[in-house]
Amino acid sequence: MFEFLFNYPLAVYRKGTLVFSSGWPAALLLLGLAALAAAVFWLFLRRGGLPARRRLALGALEWSVLALLLLLLWQPALSVTVLKPQQNVVAVAFDTSQSMALEERYRQARSLFEDRLAKDLQKRFPIRIYQAGEVPARIEQLPAEPSAQRTDLGAALRQIASESSMMPVGAVVLLTDGADNGGNLGPDTIQALRRARIPVHAIGFGSERIASDIEILDADLPARALPSSRLMLTATLRQSGFRGKTAKLSVRDGDRVLAQKEVRLPADGETWRETLALNAGAAGVKTLDIGVQPLDGETNTRNNRVERLVDVRDRKPRILYFEGEPRWEMKFIRRAVEEDAQLDLASIVRTTENRFYRQGIRSPQELERGFPSTVEELFAFQALIIGNVEAGYFTPVQQNLICEFAGRRGGGVLFLGGRSALSDGGWQRSPVAEILPVTLADRKGAFRREPATVELTRAGAESLLLRLEEDPEKNAARWKALPYLADYHMTGEPKPGATVLAEAIPGVRLRHPLLVTQNYGRGRVALLATGGTWRWQMAQDARDQSHETFWQQLLRWLAGGVEERVTLMTTRQTYSGEEPAVLRAEVRDQNYLPAPGAVVSVHLLGPGGVSDTIELQPARGEPGVYEAQWRAPRPGPYLAEATAREGTEELGRDTVTFRREDGTREFFRTEQNRELLERLAAQTGGRYYRPDNAQDLVKEIELSEAGITVRETRPVWNAPAAFLLLAGLKTAEWLVRRRWGAI
Amino acid sequence: MRRPVALFLAALLLAGSLFAFQRGYGNIRRLFPENDDDTPPPGSQEKTEFYFARLRYPNVRATGIWAMRGSWTVDYPKADRQFLQGLIRLTRIQANPMERVVDLISDDIFDYPFVYVVEPGHWDLPDAQAKKLREFIDRGGFLMTDDFHGTFEWELFTASLNKAFADRPIVDIEDEDPIFHVLYDLNDRVQVPGIVNYPFQKTYEYDGIEPKWRAWRDAKGRIAIAICFNMDQGDAWEWADNPNYPEKYASQAYRTAINYILYAMTH
Repeated sequence: MFEFLFNYPLAVYRKGTLVFSSGWPAALLLLGLAALAAAVFWLFLRRGGLPARRRLALGALEWSVLALLLLLLWQPALSVTVLKPQQNVVAVAFDTSQSMALEERYRQARSLFEDRLAKDLQKRFPIRIYQAGEVPARIEQLPAEPSAQRTDLGAALRQIASESSMMPVGAVVLLTDGADNGGNLGPDTIQALRRARIPVHAIGFGSERIASDIEILDADLPARALPSSRLMLTATLRQSGFRGKTAKLSVRDGDRVLAQKEVRLPADGETWRETLALNAGAAGVKTLDIGVQPLDGETNTRNNRVERLVDVRDRKPRILYFEGEPRWEMKFIRRAVEEDAQLDLASIVRTTENRFYRQGIRSPQELERGFPSTVEELFAFQALIIGNVEAGYFTPVQQNLICEFAGRRGGGVLFLGGRSALSDGGWQRSPVAEILPVTLADRKGAFRREPATVELTRAGAESLLLRLEEDPEKNAARWKALPYLADYHMTGEPKPGATVLAEAIPGVRLRHPLLVTQNYGRGRVALLATGGTWRWQMAQDARDQSHETFWQQLLRWLAGGVEERVTLMTTRQTYSGEEPAVLRAEVRDQNYLPAPGAVVSVHLLGPGGVSDTIELQPARGEPGVYEAQWRAPRPGPYLAEATAREGTEELGRDTVTFRREDGTREFFRTEQNRELLERLAAQTGGRYYRPDNAQDLVKEIELSEAGITVRETRPVWNAPAAFLLLAGLKTAEWLVRRRWGAI
Repeated sequence: MRRPVALFLAALLLAGSLFAFQRGYGNIRRLFPENDDDTPPPGSQEKTEFYFARLRYPNVRATGIWAMRGSWTVDYPKADRQFLQGLIRLTRIQANPMERVVDLISDDIFDYPFVYVVEPGHWDLPDAQAKKLREFIDRGGFLMTDDFHGTFEWELFTASLNKAFADRPIVDIEDEDPIFHVLYDLNDRVQVPGIVNYPFQKTYEYDGIEPKWRAWRDAKGRIAIAICFNMDQGDAWEWADNPNYPEKYASQAYRTAINYILYAMTH
């Protein structure tokens, strides 16, 4: 209809600029319009018989008619840039990935292209067809079935952009569901298309919301853990069509169910999270299967499960506990740790003014002079507990070492409450205050030997640190039933970025942060503002494990994730198909400063006897970081071990695990990603189309500014709309005159 | 006629013995005068980390000379308070200067992880109390026993203890054990006598000739009950300020108990 009324499609009006074909100056037109206005209004206002407002209205209608006639005399037209017929290529990028097989998207796309689009396009442009699958490539004929295990729209578009330097590409037509998982559709690709001025016209296929489906969008599990650690799985899920029903979420290691729970499904399209605690079990690399049991009628059950690798390492992090005076808390912390085979606790307690008592030492010389004063001695530990001791006991060197232990070493530091601890020990005036997760109030007497109960905050209820029971409700109830603490320490406000996990409640309307955590530098810091958790042990049945579990989990958190001098990692845990794995190693010297001159080699082992050794190269602009890409030759799990050397000295080793998975990604996020396609089209000057309005595409493509173009002037003065408007104005005037009796 | 004479002579002998005993004990009491002043020492109201808890227990029903012995109150409260002065002065433990009395009836004992018991050679723990003592130990409590001597008292001691602790044996503590080195090195230990042994030519009582530092260890091998057998630390603390009591015994008694408390607070 628009084209009938205005001679051309809307795109011509959007892209064209207004010109006058008569060649007469536009200023003369304006002058004429003004003169007409003056003459008409002078004539109409002079006449009597009608009220002034009505005369004014009739004058305006009369002037409009005359003004339109005058405008048409100037012969308005649109100047547009159009592609020269048959001299520009139109690239048609076809998504041939497996997700296009869903809902018959591929059949629909192929039918649209072969039956209609190709014919229309070929009238004006030569066509080149590309496949946007795992590997972008030009193809002569569309494949019968979509079988690519990956959708890499970015790679295909980049290839087209690069080929545009050798041939005139007028536009790209992209037929896809937008479920891109190639990771190449970033700013670089968009820039390349914009530089070549190639508009991408995207035709989207598939439902924007799948009718009946449950999907695991993500599953977050720690990649490394200590044996028998409690792990928290956070699964992100989405469903449609099953609102209010229940489904079973489970984690399996082979045939063994490690944890499972019933989940109630929320509103359609809503993304939600479920957490599930599980035990890491014995040492070894484990492939855990996280899945939701399929429900009847699900259209796609392959997105109901994902796999994650967990490297359960049999290591024993060492913790140094310094206590300023003998107290029960120390005894019971030691006892709790002794129950945990994965923790190694060395402790020093000042028994008298000039004597220490050391426990858990590995040699008679270790810690014989008390708290370490050197990097070498202190950084040998993974975590540090500062008990009831005043800041002034430590030398400035030792205080700085404590800060560096968290910031540079990446260790965990835990501060306890006590009569000489925190603000009562003057810590707020020491450099160590910087790393504390609270701002200590500058006052004495903040430590109280008064009972206080404990209440978990929302973050605490969700945290694994404070999980005494797997079930969150039972856990909350168990915390509520715990005996009161023997004492508490009023700390001050938590710092921004710190997380309060538990509060001490000494009385009605009184509550103070009890357990606060925060990351600091490469490490983590916690504050437990009491020295009285020992009552959880003495005031409960001997079989109760609350105290032991709490301390084991807290100290495992503190020391378990601490990185050593060589840390090997991959950018992702799972790589798809031919996509290379990116290996990165952070290497530090004896002082835990970046080691830029190291030689880092990585030995890789994979399925079917795959074995390879590569050398990582220094990363640009990141001292001490080394990286390389490596293609896993076949699907399955891989183990990589990095060894860093500086000269003949070995700086350290580390391992990481990752997987190559082929084809699985195509079954996740399978709904049409219209937002992505609209954004891609808008950023490149193209448009998004549905299959049912894709016929407009050819006319839009003609107006591309890419390739070989020519400037055209298209008259609009002869558009039916102009004459209809003229007739409409005169008719309106006649009707008004009749009504007012002015004929 | 012979029979009345024999009875008379026997009665005379008994009376003479009692007289001699009482005269001797009276002499000792003159040298070591009892002081039962129970006024709380300054600072006793303060809340502290450590409390010296003394166990109140039911006595065994004994006859004859044994009926005169054995009570949870022996040396109380002076021994406790005098020892606590030393503990506060010699260590960094924040200790309350006054003892607390606990029993195995209420649950208060669970707030005092260190408990001292005197003369357990005369205790008679009912099953429920023995069971509670075991629960106290299993939760992490520490019991120090003192001032019982010889075979008879040992039998009575173990009779009650075995009601709840028979699953593991009582053993001698080796010289190398941390409990003898946590602060003071106590390799060369002597028998610490009670004042009844004044003037201390003899340091043992009954047939308890040899001092024994024994222990009942928990499943992890930690000393949970420290048994000072054939010795009297309590008297040594109580009379440490008395020149008639030899310093070397008092000194060892202080050191032993300090080590035991430090051990209890670290193991």
